[in-house]
Amino acid sequence: MKNKGIVFFLIILAVVIVVVVALDYNASKPDQQPANPYAYNIDPFSRIDTVLIHYKESRNLAISFSEPTGISFRGDELFVVGDQKLQIIEPTGKLMNEVSFDQKPTCVYASTENIFVGFKKSVAILSRDGAKITEWNSFSDSTVITSIAEKSGIVFVADAGKRMIRKFALDGKSLGIIEGKSGNDQIHGFIIPSPYFDLAFNADGELWVVNPGKHSLENYTVEGALRTWWQASSIKVEGFSGCCNPAHFAFLPDGSFVTSEKGMVRIKTYKPSGEFSGVVAAPSKFAENSEAPDLAVDNQGNIYALDLNKKMLRLFVKK
Amino acid sequence: MKKWIKVSLIFAFLLFSLAGMAQQQRFPKPEFGTGYSQPTPITPEPRALALEYTDVVILLIVLSMASYFAIRKRSRKGLLWLSVFTLLYFGFYRDGCICSIGSIQNVALTLFDPGYAISITTLLFFLIPLVFTLYFGRTFCAGACPLGAMQDLLIVKPISLPEWLRKTLGIIPYLYLSLAVLFAATGTDFIICRYDPFVGIFRMDAEFHMVVLGIAFILMGMFVARPYCRFLCPYGVLLNWMSRFSKWHLTITPAACIQCKLCSDSCPFDAIDYPTDEKQSKNRTWGVNRFLVYALLIPLWIFIGGFAGSKAHTWISKANPTVYLAELLITKPDVRNDLKNLDVQAYLSSGKSMETLVKEATVIRRKFYTGGWIAGGFMGLVIGMTILRQVVYRKRTDYQPHKGNCYSCGRCMGYCPVKK
Repeated sequence: MKNKGIVFFLIILAVVIVVVVALDYNASKPDQQPANPYAYNIDPFSRIDTVLIHYKESRNLAISFSEPTGISFRGDELFVVGDQKLQIIEPTGKLMNEVSFDQKPTCVYASTENIFVGFKKSVAILSRDGAKITEWNSFSDSTVITSIAEKSGIVFVADAGKRMIRKFALDGKSLGIIEGKSGNDQIHGFIIPSPYFDLAFNADGELWVVNPGKHSLENYTVEGALRTWWQASSIKVEGFSGCCNPAHFAFLPDGSFVTSEKGMVRIKTYKPSGEFSGVVAAPSKFAENSEAPDLAVDNQGNIYALDLNKKMLRLFVKK
Repeated sequence: MKKWIKVSLIFAFLLFSLAGMAQQQRFPKPEFGTGYSQPTPITPEPRALALEYTDVVILLIVLSMASYFAIRKRSRKGLLWLSVFTLLYFGFYRDGCICSIGSIQNVALTLFDPGYAISITTLLFFLIPLVFTLYFGRTFCAGACPLGAMQDLLIVKPISLPEWLRKTLGIIPYLYLSLAVLFAATGTDFIICRYDPFVGIFRMDAEFHMVVLGIAFILMGMFVARPYCRFLCPYGVLLNWMSRFSKWHLTITPAACIQCKLCSDSCPFDAIDYPTDEKQSKNRTWGVNRFLVYALLIPLWIFIGGFAGSKAHTWISKANPTVYLAELLITKPDVRNDLKNLDVQAYLSSGKSMETLVKEATVIRRKFYTGGWIAGGFMGLVIGMTILRQVVYRKRTDYQPHKGNCYSCGRCMGYCPVKK
């Protein structure tokens, strides 16, 4: 046979061609596709150096909520909302009081005199013993209330749907809005891609607001003028990543920030200047695809994290 | 006045510079240096419309030149350099897309899917080579096809294949064409593009297995000239039909053939028909009887092919993602919990009900059933005609290029001692 070697070589090539086509055809089926080539493996970033973890989980309290949503701490009591109720709990876990609502609360804030419970489009004001005082319903259709704080008789309501902070007097009178904007293009308002928009006052009475789309925390005057800000955009432990983080924050007694993030769930602390301080809870502390826990801090600087997935209150104390 | 303008410009420049600095201070660039690199997409970015029209003009020019070199000038060298240009321009520069071969699928989809409209440039890429072939033979294959150019330039030691093997393998392009049209018409896949062995080389970003496929074809092409063109190319089927009726066609000799036989082994594609043997024509009655039997069997072949195609529709339709997904979710309901299965998760997040999915899959499968009859019937016709051609006797006195199979590459012309 002429060209025996070439013919043998050609047969091998023909087999290779058929095998490659057959394998490729088979591999493109929905249940046989290779791993997503666009997937971004963030596992290396979820592993935290233990030296950076400054807190330990001292205990946790099971709560009787199927869908907890928010937490606040005032005096010596914890205020937890979710489902269609508010529970007032002692730090020992003892239930002190429970108030029912006809809709699901989204957030809670307790001042020295009142409890403010936020719903998607309304705010209920209760006395500290749980008696309903009034309810504000005059919000727009696109309102999504995500956080409340009060200072010197002015109530600040974070409206993620309208991307603004609404100000009210205690009698419900509107005192204006804060949009975080100015004529200057450099300050173009709050960027809220998803309903995570938190605000809080620090011990010095300064209003701090998360601008999640910018990964920043911004300090505004009561009138709404931007005073200062800090930003930390990074997938690394020092910063915030994703579309909208931090999801929640609270203040430690010394003015440091405690932040919680969604996506790669982690709780961290930042100095009052915004400099990264350390980690409270690493991503490994939370279940996969968990939501960002809401935060509260007691007078001793212990951090309560409301774990929405495990449905428990987790207490972190300094090592 | 000039001074005033200068001062204004400097002031404006400083103003904008300071504004930029302030902006940078306010929102410094986020730090995301994570080493993540975005995989490059498989399909190239669409070209500007003006460039697409330019491509059509260049195709026209290249085809005109190829026809001129093949028929008028009789220049193999001209065709060779033209194919080098085609390889560089239509292959490497344009990433092999759009190509006339793949445009078959766009035409099929636009005919069967009212929601899809073919672009005018794609349609022109489909039609222009066919029209040129109708007048000048397959000059598109000679000088304007990047896939053909790639293979043609890498022929090293072509071997002649036995006729039975050529005829058998020659059926594959018809099968490939049938499947390509069926898959495109049902919105399943563009298999011509997907299994284009050279497009990954043109784009320099092929996956490993496609590189293997491309290299396998190149290595094969070193010994079996133009294996893709001869035994796979579905567009070649259409060009073959057109070329058989071409008004003008490349000839081996510029004048009368002197039967010197010098050209007999010049074609690496076995596309030269030899003068017929007079003995073959003697038993005419026997040949006519066979012709009649084979001709009468063609409807049977069509029916058998159609029946086989319709029976295979269930299996073939699994290539459609909707049909496969519906079957998968019915047979393996647990796959819903597989978060890594992107297709399943994409379906679940779309909010589409199972009932709707099954309904869609049923409609597609019905299309495959009808398409299976048509494609199978077509294949039956091809087989019937191939058998019939075995007994068709055409008298030839000269060495001639086969009008359907000849790629008009012009190699044979150089072997002819006859001058004008």
